[in-house]
Amino acid sequence: MALYGSTYAGYGFGTLVTVVIAYGILDLIVNGRWFNIAYLIETPSPYFWASMGIGLCIGLSVIGAAWGILLTGVSIVGAAVKTPRIRTKNLISIIFCEVVAIYGLIVAIVFSSKLSNAIPVSGWSREALYAGYAMFWAGLTVGMANLACGVCVGVVGSSCALADAADPQLFVKVLVIEIFGSIIGLFGLIVGLLMTGRVTPFK
Amino acid sequence: MSSASDYCPAYAPFLGFAGAGSAMILSAFGAAYGTAKAGVGISGIGQFRPDLMMKALIPVVMAGIIAVYGLVVAVLTANSLPPTNYSAFTGYVHLASGLATGFSGIAAGYAIGIVGDACVRGYMYQPKLFVGMVLILIFAEVLGLYGLIISLILNTKANNNCQ
Repeated sequence: MALYGSTYAGYGFGTLVTVVIAYGILDLIVNGRWFNIAYLIETPSPYFWASMGIGLCIGLSVIGAAWGILLTGVSIVGAAVKTPRIRTKNLISIIFCEVVAIYGLIVAIVFSSKLSNAIPVSGWSREALYAGYAMFWAGLTVGMANLACGVCVGVVGSSCALADAADPQLFVKVLVIEIFGSIIGLFGLIVGLLMTGRVTPFK
Repeated sequence: MSSASDYCPAYAPFLGFAGAGSAMILSAFGAAYGTAKAGVGISGIGQFRPDLMMKALIPVVMAGIIAVYGLVVAVLTANSLPPTNYSAFTGYVHLASGLATGFSGIAAGYAIGIVGDACVRGYMYQPKLFVGMVLILIFAEVLGLYGLIISLILNTKANNNCQ
């Protein structure tokens, strides 16, 4: 168990558990109740949830695309020093990474069209809360799936450039692996749009 | 108007969406790791034995299937999430099913990636390893399938009785 604390995931998970327990204890001391999930989830306005979802969607997708481009681009120009012929063909790998950012952009635009300023008369309606939760989780799903996809396509694109520099006929075969990698982002997009299919704009 | 005391509280869809989301997110991480790790190995062997590359694509295909498991559970969950008449019980059940597929998907994806990478490098030197490689990859893939099975069993338990 000592090994877990020494990785990023270990530190992150340990911090999360500490924060959750600290929140629970504080809630107990101040308000006299232990970890009321309803209060935690229903009190923030649905605008908080929806806006977080949209922000995370575009933010994480762009992080994934950027990470992929940095991984691929370095290998392309590095290998092109000795074999300049690979420059133009391997831009396809960069475009695959860019497409991941476009997925996030599309979903963020679609979701922001469902955000409209409606002041509640007395508490939030169930539909409004539902819309907020849907957009939060759909945005997070699209963002995280695109993050994973972008890094994957970046790593494979980097190998593609190096393989192409060694032997031009390998390019198409490694491109097949990149296509398998890019369907992950597409799945995230599908799930995100399905989740918000039943969401009506706030009234 | 405490929501905590009724069977179909307003926060229940949050849990359902968390289930659908975590199924897709965690499976995506597993599949991405598997594709990337195996992909690096496959492009490496291509320079020495390009004729073996088509058969060496098997780990990448299996990592893609892990993403499909996550997609299936996420779509199944998201399609049974109405805005009203959704009980907290169903919400927790969907959360459990999403986490089951998600964590199994991450584990299976990692295994497929690392095993695929090592196996294709061995396959380059010794083509007779192909059958052994496929068998090991199948066992790793089946881990993700176990998560999917439990998710589907849990999904049938959904009960939206609001009284």
